[in-house]
Amino acid sequence: MMEKTQISWIQLFLLLSGFHIGSTVLLSPSAGAGRDAWLAMILGGAGGTLLMWSYAVLSMLNPSKTLVEILRDRLGKIAGTILSFLYVWYFIHLASLVFRDFGEFLCTTTYLETPMVVVIGLFAVVLLYTVNSGIEVLGRLSELLVPVIPVAISIISFSLFTINDFTAVLPILENGLMPVLKGAFGAITFPYGETVAFLMLFPHLNRKDKLKKTVVISAVLSTLLGLLVFFRDLFVIGGDLIGRSTFIPHLTSLLIPEFNVEPLLDINLLIGGGIKISVCVYAAAKALCQITGVQDYRGFTRAVLTFAVVLAIWAYDSVLELFAWTQKVYGFYVIPFQVLIPLLLLLLSLIRKGKPQGEVPDKEGNNNAEAVNA
Amino acid sequence: MVIVIIVVFLIIIAYDVQGFIRKKERASAVIIYLVLMGISLVVSVLLASGKRPSSPAQWIEAALKMVGVVK
Repeated sequence: MMEKTQISWIQLFLLLSGFHIGSTVLLSPSAGAGRDAWLAMILGGAGGTLLMWSYAVLSMLNPSKTLVEILRDRLGKIAGTILSFLYVWYFIHLASLVFRDFGEFLCTTTYLETPMVVVIGLFAVVLLYTVNSGIEVLGRLSELLVPVIPVAISIISFSLFTINDFTAVLPILENGLMPVLKGAFGAITFPYGETVAFLMLFPHLNRKDKLKKTVVISAVLSTLLGLLVFFRDLFVIGGDLIGRSTFIPHLTSLLIPEFNVEPLLDINLLIGGGIKISVCVYAAAKALCQITGVQDYRGFTRAVLTFAVVLAIWAYDSVLELFAWTQKVYGFYVIPFQVLIPLLLLLLSLIRKGKPQGEVPDKEGNNNAEAVNA
Repeated sequence: MVIVIIVVFLIIIAYDVQGFIRKKERASAVIIYLVLMGISLVVSVLLASGKRPSSPAQWIEAALKMVGVVK
C-alpha cells in the first residue's frame, strides 16, 4: 500500500516551513493581541513546537504508518475508519480555507476585476499537476521555492529600514494577559496544529532518526521568521493598525517609497499557500486511498481538489464572514483533530510500547514468545 | 453558466471513473469519488444559479453552539 517514494529531511524541513508560512505570511493568528502579539507568538510557538514534537513522537512510535493506519491500528477498524473520514474532511476544509485566503487576498489587492472562482480555479489546476507528480516532486519543489520566502521577506524588511518607530512595542501588556493568551492559543491551532496533516507524509522520510530534530527546527525557525515579520510590521505601521488591519504585511509593503514590492508578497503566498494546499490535498487523497484500499492516491486528487475549490466559495459569503468564523469557531473546531485525537493515539501507542512481548501458542500448543508489532 | 459547469463536471467524472474501472478498483472507491463529485456538482450549480445553500461552516458553528463551546 505504501508508496516507495522517499523525501530527505531537508525536503521535509522545507515543506514544513513552507506549510507554516502558507497563510501566516498574510494573516497573523496572534494579531488580536495588538502590539503584544509578539508575546503571543512566542508562547504559541513554544506550545506549537511541543505539539509538533508530539506528532513526530507518534509517527516514530508507529514507523512506516500513516495517520489512517495508526487510527485503524489503535482504535479498531470501525472507529479508525470513521475518524479517518473525519480527518479527510478536515484536510479538505483546511485546503479550502487556504484557497479562500489566497483568493480573497488576490481579488482584494491585485486582481480587482477577476472573479475569485477563476483565481482559485487556475491555482487548483497547477496544484493538481503538482500533487499528481508525487511527494518526491513536491519535496524537490520545496527545495527550489521555499528559500525564496525568507529572501522576499528580507528584501521587504530592509526596504523599510528607514521608516521605523522602535517605541511602537511599548507599552507591554497594556490590555492585560488575556489577549496574549488568546493569541497564543490561536497561534497553536494556526499554523502549528495544522501540521497534523504531515502524519500522512512522515512515513516517506528516508532518515526516521532525524524526524524529531527536523520538526523542532522547522517550528522554531518559522516562529523566528514570524516574529521578524511581526516586529517589522509593528515598527512600521504601529500597534493600532496591527490590531485593525486585515492583510498586515500587504499594508506594510505599500509604505515602501519609490518602488512596488507587492509581487514579492504574492510570490510568498503562491509558494507557501501552494505547499500548504498540496500537502492537505495529498493527505486527504492518500487517506481516502488507504480507507478504500485503492493502490494509487491520484484517482482521488481531482475529486478532492474540486471539492476544496467548491467549499472555498461555498463556505463563506464574504471575507468578513470568513474572518469572523476563523476567529470565533476555528480554534474550538480543530481541537479534536489537532490535539485530542493525536494525543489519544500517542497515549495508546506509548501503552502498547510499554506492554511486555506477547506469548502466542504454536500449533502444538507450546508457548512461543512473539514480538508484538507496535 | 450552469450548463458549462455540468459539462465540465461530467467530463472529469467520465475520465476518472474510466480510470477506476480500467484498474478494477473497489466499488467503495468509486462511490466515495462519486459522492465528492456529486456534492461539488450540486453545490456549484446552486451557487451559479444564485441559491447559496447553508454551508458546512454554519453547521459546525451551530453544532459548537449547541454543545455550548461557542457563544
